Amino acid sequence: MVCSSTAAPLQLRDGRKIIGTLCSFDQFANLVLSGAKERIIVGQQYSEIPLGLHVVRGENVVLLGQLDAAREPPPGLELVTEAAIKQAQRAEREAEKMKGLILARFDFLSDI
Amino acid sequence: MLFYSYFKTLVGKEVTVELKNDLAITGTLHSVDQYLNIKLNNIRVVNEQKYPHMLSVRACFVRGSVVRYVQLPPGSVDVELLHDATRREARGG
Amino acid sequence: MAEEENTVREPLDLIRLSLDEKVYVKLKGERELRGKLHAYDQHLNMILGDVEETVTSVEIDEETFEEIIKASEGDSSRMVPYLFVRGDGVILVSPPLRS
Repeated sequence: MVCSSTAAPLQLRDGRKIIGTLCSFDQFANLVLSGAKERIIVGQQYSEIPLGLHVVRGENVVLLGQLDAAREPPPGLELVTEAAIKQAQRAEREAEKMKGLILARFDFLSDI
Repeated sequence: MLFYSYFKTLVGKEVTVELKNDLAITGTLHSVDQYLNIKLNNIRVVNEQKYPHMLSVRACFVRGSVVRYVQLPPGSVDVELLHDATRREARGG
Repeated sequence: MAEEENTVREPLDLIRLSLDEKVYVKLKGERELRGKLHAYDQHLNMILGDVEETVTSVEIDEETFEEIIKASEGDSSRMVPYLFVRGDGVILVSPPLRS
């Protein structure tokens, strides 16, 4: 188990990334993170949203990492405001939805 | 316990773990536990451009339940040993 | 003893008889594996050798409709020398493919 007083990036099953200080964990990988923040990355932009103290249920944990301070934040990414990243995220979701619509139409055709 | 025992023999070797979210990570197997949770060191993500958030991660813990595959180093698979262990396990369980 | 080794009393016995044989494994997410079965346990965790993985997916090329159809016809497959497969993704295991 990764255990340190430095920030640890946590990947959740729904795709979200949370960075926080790992305070505690158990055999299910239930985690307690303090000073947590969600990092949203869209394309080459990223933003961080403060969350505070969080308890994460183990089943939602995909991966808990150990940060390399020299490569933090990830090189090549540009920090933007929360509003800007949410906007970019919405645009990305819209694009995904369009793909889904095209796919659904294709499924319909293949049934005939 | 068969696969737990087997993975313990792979500690120190390089493996590629493929997760159910399609993330594939290559790294040195540091440790494994009874749930087949895995800790990897010196990791690199197979498709780095697609997962920029992993660029600054060099070691990680992966929860066993999110693993889809582990690609094993060919040199460390003793087929006969595995067959025997599997037959023993099938009798016992 | 030899007789006991060959009897099939429960589903997993069928898989035991497939040890060191080529098997077909269907997985969640439109994935299929063909490879030699080297190990398994009661969860259907497995180690396969000389594995061919086929993923059937409909990929989208945003532009035109034709491209979508084309992409869906081509299954992508790859070979892996040795693969551990976690049992919770397994839908079915089929005994040796004799061709």
